[in-house]
Amino acid sequence: MPKPLEITLGIVTSVGGFLEIGSITTAAQAGAGFGYQLAWSVLLGTVCIAFLVEMSGRFSAVSKHTIPDAMRERFGVNFFAVPLFVMLGVSLLVLAAELGGVAAALQLATGISIPVWAVPVGFIAWGVLWRAPFSLIENGVSLLGLVTIAFAVAAVKSHPSYIGVAHGLLPTLPHRDSAHYWFIAVSVLGASITPSLYYFYSSGAIEEKWDSSYIGTNRAIAAIGMGFGGFLSLAVLVVAAHVYPRGSSIDHYQQLPALLSSLLHRTGFWLFVAALGIACIGATIEIALSLAYLVAQGFGWNWGENLQPHVDARFSLTYTVLIAIASLLVLCGLDPIKLTNISMALTAASLPIGVFPFLILMNDSSYLGEHTNGHFGNAVVLGISVIAALLAIVSIPLEILGG
Amino acid sequence: MHLIAEVLDAQLKDVNGRNSGRIDGIVLELRNDKPPRVAYVEISPITLLARFSERFAWWYATFDRRLGPGRGTPFRIAWSRITRSGPTLRMDLDVESTSIMALEDWLRDRVVSHIPGN
Repeated sequence: MPKPLEITLGIVTSVGGFLEIGSITTAAQAGAGFGYQLAWSVLLGTVCIAFLVEMSGRFSAVSKHTIPDAMRERFGVNFFAVPLFVMLGVSLLVLAAELGGVAAALQLATGISIPVWAVPVGFIAWGVLWRAPFSLIENGVSLLGLVTIAFAVAAVKSHPSYIGVAHGLLPTLPHRDSAHYWFIAVSVLGASITPSLYYFYSSGAIEEKWDSSYIGTNRAIAAIGMGFGGFLSLAVLVVAAHVYPRGSSIDHYQQLPALLSSLLHRTGFWLFVAALGIACIGATIEIALSLAYLVAQGFGWNWGENLQPHVDARFSLTYTVLIAIASLLVLCGLDPIKLTNISMALTAASLPIGVFPFLILMNDSSYLGEHTNGHFGNAVVLGISVIAALLAIVSIPLEILGG
Repeated sequence: MHLIAEVLDAQLKDVNGRNSGRIDGIVLELRNDKPPRVAYVEISPITLLARFSERFAWWYATFDRRLGPGRGTPFRIAWSRITRSGPTLRMDLDVESTSIMALEDWLRDRVVSHIPGN
């Protein structure tokens, strides 16, 4: 495939795959509760994930290693076990939240309750992974995710105060409800900086046989793709600030379709259902695959979405079991919004556990030669991850205590 | 060669380039009046779990014995059969001829082969 086309496809799939239940819900909660004031958290999260995605693509293209592979090799299994189990635990909750998001979209469309959809949705996600090659998953599902551009259309139609949005991009202290403000900020950060996303990207670079000649392509995809993805998150926040009365909270997913239906009417409702369903099924598939990569690469198994399941049985059964557990959690009646909020906040709290060792790898010339990180990239990722984790550690107990 | 940094936990590939697990343990041979030398490397969840807890290792070994004759002990490869290829180690054996893939084969035959589209 010619490089310009490859870059375009990469950017389009990054944009289409950016929004999922975490980013939609948390950005909507930020806009509904605090207007444009939390726009900075979307910006901060987008900058951090763009850096991390660029680094993970560069790491795999140059070193021919994925992140879990190098982490086990460089730090040994006793250390590797910590990020492995933390990421498995937290990402399993995120996986259940995404699966619940698809089920919520189906409930909005049909009126049939969420738990009824848990098993069929899990089965569809598993079926795609069982049968489809990597390129179809990466490109096909993400291309369908472009329906989320509807949020940008709604944002423009809401005639926002662009100066107000620009002010919101600068962090400010809350005037009221501080604990909730910081908790939502942390949730937005956790929704943007999902480790499964850059682990997936790193494995994708190996699956697609990237080499050092892809460094420029990778940089363009990470910067432009993640940038436009963050712009869509910001659009959700802007629309929410317009649609919901300031200070309101979004506690039920039934409140979410108003994001589009209040501006685009009946079409908006169905666009929302499609956007939520497609974005969440894409995220379900990507997270399940990302976790299977993590386990298989950490233990040195045969792995690859392009291989038939009988060739990499342990890898295929890993995502099968993970999807089954996530389906079970949704079947038990866990509320998708609550699950989303807690899983996003926990993602933020656990960020340094995965980011610190990754940064050490990114500065190791035995893996990257002359392509190691610069000081600026290190500082941005380290700074944002530590801030997100500290905010999470403080705000999660406060939010729980405050009900 | 730094055994801990460059051998332990390194990816092992077989003679056909197939992923064959990671080096979970190193067996040293002690010699009179000479420095110890590497005799074998071990590739096995039993060795891996023993690095965390002997009890976990014992539990897994009990399960592993059910996978076939000769199982329940870590699989060892003579160090002389291992060569270095960049950061990866390569053995001069086909992984299918070893017991490294016992769990993979068991899962393929007992579970995956019964699912359509495998």
